[in-house]
Amino acid sequence: MGATREIYWNTGHGAVVVMYLVALVAVGAMALGFRRRRDIWRRGKPLDRVDHPLRRLSRLLADTLSQSKVARVPEGGVPHSIFFWAFLLLFAGTLLVMAQVDLLTPLFNVNLLSGDFYRLYSLTLDLAGLLALVALGVLAARRFVIRPPGLERTPGDAAVHLLLLAILVTGFIVEGFRMAATELRDNPGLALWSPVGYLFAELFAAMSDQAQRAAHRALWLAHMLLALGFIAIIPWTKLRHIATTSGNSFFEPNKPKGTLPPVDLDDESAERFGASAVGDLFWKDLFDADACTKCGRCQERCPAWLTGKPLSPMKVIADIGDVAEKENGKPLIEAVSRDALWSCTTCGACEEICPASIEHVGKIIEMRRSLVLMAGEFPGDEARRACDAIEINGNPFGLARSSRGDWAKGLPVSVADGKSETEILYFTGCYASFDPRNRKVAESFIKICAAAGVTVAVLGKAERCCGEPARKLGNEYLYRMVAESNIAAICASGARRIVTACPHCFNTLARDYRELGLDLPVEHHSTFIRRLVGEGRLKLNPAAFSATYHDSCYLARYRDIAEAPRVVLEAAGGRLAEMEWAGSEGFCCGAGGGRILAEERMGTPIVDERLRMARKTGASTLVAACPFCLSMFEDGLKRSDAHQSLKAFDLAEVVVRSLENP
Amino acid sequence: MNILVCIKQVPDMEGRFEPNEAGSWFDEVGLAWRMNEYDAFAVEEAVRLKERLGGEARVTALCVGPARVVETLRKALSMGCDDAVHIDDPEAPERDPWQIASMIVGFAAGRGFELVFTGMQSEDRSSAQVGLLVAERLGVTCATGITAFEWRDGAITVEREIEGGRSCTLRLKAPALLTCQQGLNSPRYPTLPNIMKSKRAKLTVLTPESVGLEPPKASSGNFRPHERNAAGVILDGDAVTLAAQVLEILETRTAVLGKGGVR
Repeated sequence: MGATREIYWNTGHGAVVVMYLVALVAVGAMALGFRRRRDIWRRGKPLDRVDHPLRRLSRLLADTLSQSKVARVPEGGVPHSIFFWAFLLLFAGTLLVMAQVDLLTPLFNVNLLSGDFYRLYSLTLDLAGLLALVALGVLAARRFVIRPPGLERTPGDAAVHLLLLAILVTGFIVEGFRMAATELRDNPGLALWSPVGYLFAELFAAMSDQAQRAAHRALWLAHMLLALGFIAIIPWTKLRHIATTSGNSFFEPNKPKGTLPPVDLDDESAERFGASAVGDLFWKDLFDADACTKCGRCQERCPAWLTGKPLSPMKVIADIGDVAEKENGKPLIEAVSRDALWSCTTCGACEEICPASIEHVGKIIEMRRSLVLMAGEFPGDEARRACDAIEINGNPFGLARSSRGDWAKGLPVSVADGKSETEILYFTGCYASFDPRNRKVAESFIKICAAAGVTVAVLGKAERCCGEPARKLGNEYLYRMVAESNIAAICASGARRIVTACPHCFNTLARDYRELGLDLPVEHHSTFIRRLVGEGRLKLNPAAFSATYHDSCYLARYRDIAEAPRVVLEAAGGRLAEMEWAGSEGFCCGAGGGRILAEERMGTPIVDERLRMARKTGASTLVAACPFCLSMFEDGLKRSDAHQSLKAFDLAEVVVRSLENP
Repeated sequence: MNILVCIKQVPDMEGRFEPNEAGSWFDEVGLAWRMNEYDAFAVEEAVRLKERLGGEARVTALCVGPARVVETLRKALSMGCDDAVHIDDPEAPERDPWQIASMIVGFAAGRGFELVFTGMQSEDRSSAQVGLLVAERLGVTCATGITAFEWRDGAITVEREIEGGRSCTLRLKAPALLTCQQGLNSPRYPTLPNIMKSKRAKLTVLTPESVGLEPPKASSGNFRPHERNAAGVILDGDAVTLAAQVLEILETRTAVLGKGGVR
């Protein structure tokens, strides 16, 4: 006997017409729902996120079909992926049935669903249904029984799980009744190709043919209504993420990571800066709120949340969504809360792990911009004073501008005068210029350059704060003031290549100053030293020591620089023991996002959490490659008993140690 | 109601102060400039009063000094002052308080300022005389070093700090001049729209002669930078080492632990 089946068996032609009508209604309801959502997205400002459409489309397909982003966190992610693939197969199988009946048979008189292909089709779909059921069970168990922190359990969640369960189970039951009445009797060999359906068919085998047919017809109708109901409710429930989360892979920014939306400071008629209302945000910011599935991954990695601060990146997105939806609700910043906004270190752990490509940090900065630029508000008086000090003295400490280059006295460093040519311009930064602890890092870096025969110039008193902490606090005006002054000084210096030991300066000069016209190669000292070692210009004579390396967020996460510092550290004798969060998933020291200028008043210090992880490795040396991280570590170690067993150093310092070893 | 705020631009006190060539005052090279801190309290209080009174009040900021002080006047505008008057006087840094006061009075007299706010003193010259002299010569009531201010239809209540952490309340009537002390308020951070507006604002520029500059009563003999005593010592280490080091210093270099030293 051939391997095929009568499609729409036992349903009658009328039912198929009904099915198409209901499908029309379902798709209409879906379209209406998405139109409503689109009206909400349009409350945001325009933003071009459709450039390079082919690149975007292939990213969408790759991200969605591979499920790579969601599967990155295996618990939850793996069952989700399995469920997705299985459901996709079932959906494709159903479409194939429709195509067979209404296209292939009437137009081409071809029956695809026969023979070996039909056997494979039956087996695949049966197994897909089974896998989907198992994955759904695991997902439901995780959400409703294991209840990991950060994962919500709303009635809507329960309803969606039940709906999916009902679709899958009715599908099998319909199959079971059909097979009991047909294949099981006429073609038992073929029935084995539908193993799950076979089991159900066995259950119903004893029923009369009439009862089987009646039950089949009823359940077919139920299955059809449930499946089409699923389509109809997509935009009205969290299921909308099927479209919006994958859509967000399309709408991801094509700019370098960490690029902030520009502020037009030259527009003399501008009266509003930053975001204090939904209309000040971009449409993509509101779309993000719809792309969020509240999976809680951002929250579980947010250093602020994990140390008892009132910031959950997930909640920020949800709050924005709420305000966008209710037109006359709470003002945006009240809804999100100032404390949440000021708690962010802009470390980017949320964006890194988000399976929905949501951009949390930019929104927080936009709201901070409104607080600082429109209301003169800061996270604390100390942060306002630091901004005043940057404006007047060019450094957040309020120390004399004219003493900025003093650290270099007696070292083989020249102050750039625009005439003499040195191999690099060392953009020192505020901490290495003024902070006694970080001055040692600057000295170490100069010693390294001297040992490698690299000539170094500095801007000296012409250098000012790069503006990064002020900018991340929302103080775009101050950032622009110091940025323009620095760019002018760099241009006048005759520099051809810039190196900095500070990831914040590095990101700012390499990416943000570029927007303002600086066009020079900028490098972080970790990659620069690695090159010196690689080219044989820097000879190291290492003595072994145990070390753990702390990734600065602005190196590993924002610039994908995680390998170079480790290579240098190991070349300097470090035997590396990794912390539990490392590389692009590193855990912030607490100083990013301008938090270095503000007191940490809420919760417990973020740096204590990081030091706990460092101590757990058993290493004696904690190596950083960022002056903010190093300062935080020194402060944290001073407060704890650990400073006997754990010492913090900059990468340049451990390299110098290996230079000096005999 | 017209309110006048007299402000001064001073060098940031972290700068390195060296005598100028004549030795009469400090050299300005390498210094960073900003609004005198006490004057920032004055601006803030004047603007707060204006905001409380609504449309009827107008705040004029006045600054005597060379061209560089325009930045500080714009700062005052960005904090909420309505008008800015620059008495363009390159010699201002070396003028005595009497001369500065004479110019302020020359501008203010007859313009009907009901209230004049200024700093208690400047951070660089610290004479604390200009406010008093202006009040005296305008013939208005004066209270110095106020730490709180209340206005009720011309009736003024202020708090003053006096020696030893004590304070008192004074009641006075407008017109009056008040010099402002730390603790009065926390000056605002200007908003960006106000900064942009202040950049476009037109300043009134006057010459010293046009506002009646008078000859000095005192002249500057010389200027000496801070004479360092023994250099400070920064101790390093954990609590135990630190305590031991402090003890050693107290024992070897001071008499506080000596016998009979307990009072």
